[in-house]
Amino acid sequence: MVLKDVITKENKNAFMLCNEAIVRGALEADVKVVAFYPGAPTSEVLDTFSDALGNFDYQMEITTNEKVALEVCAGASFAGLRSLTAMKSVGANVASDTLFVLGYTGVRGGLVLVIADDPHAHSSQSEEDGRFFAPNAYLPMLEPSSPQEAKDMVKKAFEISERHRVPVIIRTVTRVNHQSGIVRLETFERKEFKKVKWKELKEEFTTLGEVARQKKLKMLERTARLAEEFEDSEFNIVENRDSDVGVIASSVSYLYVLEALKMLNLHGKVGILKLGTTFPLPKNVIKNFIRDLKKVVVAEELSPYLEKEIYAIAKGTNPSLVIFGKYSGTFSEAWEYNPNLVAKGIASAMGVEYPDYESVIREAKQLKAIIPDRYPTFCAGCPHRATFVALNQALRIQASKGQEHFFANDIGCYSMWVFPPISQSDTSLCMGASVGVANGLTHAIEERVVAAVGDSTFYHAAIPALIDAVHNGNKFTLLILDNSVTAMTGQQSNPSTEFTAGWKQGKKVSIEGICKAIGVEFLEIVDSYDVKNNVEVFRKALEFDGLSVVISRRECALYGDRNKRRRGEPIVPFYVDKSICKRPYMCLRTFYCPAYDVDEDQQPHISPELCDGCSVCSKLCPFQSIKRTEVKT
Amino acid sequence: MSLNIFICGVGGQGLVLLTSVIGDACAKSGKKIITGEMYGLSQRSGTVSVHLRIGEDAFSPLIPYGQADIIIALEATEALRYIEYLKKDGIILMNKRIMHPPIETSKIITSKGSKYITVEDIVSKLKNWTTNIAVVEALKLARESGNVNTENTVFLGCLSTLEIFPAEESNIRESISEAVPKKTVEQNLKAFELGKKSAHDALCTLVKCKDTP
Repeated sequence: MVLKDVITKENKNAFMLCNEAIVRGALEADVKVVAFYPGAPTSEVLDTFSDALGNFDYQMEITTNEKVALEVCAGASFAGLRSLTAMKSVGANVASDTLFVLGYTGVRGGLVLVIADDPHAHSSQSEEDGRFFAPNAYLPMLEPSSPQEAKDMVKKAFEISERHRVPVIIRTVTRVNHQSGIVRLETFERKEFKKVKWKELKEEFTTLGEVARQKKLKMLERTARLAEEFEDSEFNIVENRDSDVGVIASSVSYLYVLEALKMLNLHGKVGILKLGTTFPLPKNVIKNFIRDLKKVVVAEELSPYLEKEIYAIAKGTNPSLVIFGKYSGTFSEAWEYNPNLVAKGIASAMGVEYPDYESVIREAKQLKAIIPDRYPTFCAGCPHRATFVALNQALRIQASKGQEHFFANDIGCYSMWVFPPISQSDTSLCMGASVGVANGLTHAIEERVVAAVGDSTFYHAAIPALIDAVHNGNKFTLLILDNSVTAMTGQQSNPSTEFTAGWKQGKKVSIEGICKAIGVEFLEIVDSYDVKNNVEVFRKALEFDGLSVVISRRECALYGDRNKRRRGEPIVPFYVDKSICKRPYMCLRTFYCPAYDVDEDQQPHISPELCDGCSVCSKLCPFQSIKRTEVKT
Repeated sequence: MSLNIFICGVGGQGLVLLTSVIGDACAKSGKKIITGEMYGLSQRSGTVSVHLRIGEDAFSPLIPYGQADIIIALEATEALRYIEYLKKDGIILMNKRIMHPPIETSKIITSKGSKYITVEDIVSKLKNWTTNIAVVEALKLARESGNVNTENTVFLGCLSTLEIFPAEESNIRESISEAVPKKTVEQNLKAFELGKKSAHDALCTLVKCKDTP
């Protein structure tokens, strides 16, 4: 990304990732407070705000979780400042307790909340449809399809939020967040950041019992006003009203529709309603669009959110309208769409041929049968790999003594342990769940329960479950894999990092301090790379008749590389001395490092440009044949 | 008509930076461009892909199947992994480098007779789709530039020679200089030149290139 385009006050066109365009829109709208917990596909919103922090006077927090992020924004908004947060929809689940009450309390300064869904579960545990937050919490929702629209909607959202005193949701999907395009940058002025006096504001933001009952009525009135306003919104666009076949689409599906119509040579021959305000829906706009149609295609990913409403509107407006969507079997609620799939749907409604893509995929599938899968895996030098190698050895020793185990994994880079060729996890649910699930399992199974959680996930959602474990005397082993950063989403800082947003100095929050304070009796701290020593520590932890916690600590390899580069230190790769290697493959068999392959003599080989120089494999070799490359000085 | 380019490779090879440079150079050259980027779970070693579309009538961030004009594969096996996106007789610019995933290596050491996939294996399959295949020794050229991480820029050099690629060279060079770390600008510009030269050897006999230097 090119930061200069995000921060320039120039009036020009720039190539931008949608997540950067969201930041740009917020800067143009004079946002004053932003807070995030990173999560794909929104992480670059956080990263961009963090990188741009030195250029503007907004306040930024990288929070322990999404709920706190939303509350930071709410606090600032109550005092009249514009605030923004962005999260993936599973993060919005965590924030939802706060989200639902903000509909009741309302806000003062504009509060914009980006919620990103991940159809196809590219980088999530589920295909959640976050649109339902909007009607459920009575919060207005805008859905962009492109970076330009995202920027425009963010600016508009602040305005709507302030006018109606309500948080506004910008709902995206992965293919919108990770879409880049040309964005029109506008000049902007920013007001000086000033604190206000609360007593001068004289307002309360509360809700409970009778107060909540009264506010519910106000919330319904507000929603009705928004519905009326959205009837005239510039984000709902009708194209080619003359046809008797129409397509209704929102989000990225709208772009697939345009592409599909081009593929079908139907451009200009089919009516299109592009919906940008998807809660409250502009019912009259929809009514007018479908009134004279014979057929309508509804193109939306995941649930039939729009489709249900369209059925209800059609019942009174045009009962004979044939609706092609999920209920007709034209589209699926599963997985993401693409232009070909949408073309097929539109073609079936129109009774025309669509460009055959199934045979293209079949032919391709045959050709690529020869290539190996490339599953996500630990990076070269990743400390988690070393931790798990030691853990596995310890588990094998314990198994030989008759102690079997259960492994509860969690969300983070260590989730890679789920994928082949390793495939070693019994459970993997959502942030922090490993510890909660471990509590339940200790009551239910005979095996020793082992749970693993990373530093960021520990702070995010695992601490309450660990307190529960101590309080109830539950006996299991917890590994806390502390690699100093939130690695999986791009090495953002967290309370285990010595930095905060914008790489400003921050205070580290001690994981061992927390464990001690809540009364963990067995607590060990090890260096992840020290495999030999760690086998014994893990073994003792497994044998301990109670709750045992081991903190395996070593900074993320990529973060470490970044620090090394900053300090001007070289990354020195290792190599296999073929004259010593007797090919027991200890370096390959359990280690699965992507820097390794085998050469034409069937001997292990390390690619110097991939090796991170972590040295762990060299300690596994019984013949000491893996050596550090001599550094030329 | 839009120009559709599908870029693929392995996490860590700089696909996102490459995309950002191409996009910026197109913006500077006044071209409309839209991309869809997919980087999965792992920071390194996972498969990464980018759909890149230049032109007024490209609407979707995803290229329809069989409509990519060019596949740029920064790693050889990845060219085949996404072949369904390439049009028949499209252009493949692929690295000679193969990065064997751990799952492949684990098979080699555990089952007798198991062999690694080769560039020849891949090219012979690709030939069922197109004969316009240029194999580039990008890692070697990157080393030659003085920075082993410039494979992405080598490919940008190759791409820039194609007649159908609309961004102006001065804009590409400027975009590279703005996007890469300051210390590596010289090396990247050298890698760009080496890429251009290699394209002239491997590619311009197959498809139409801009004027040869």
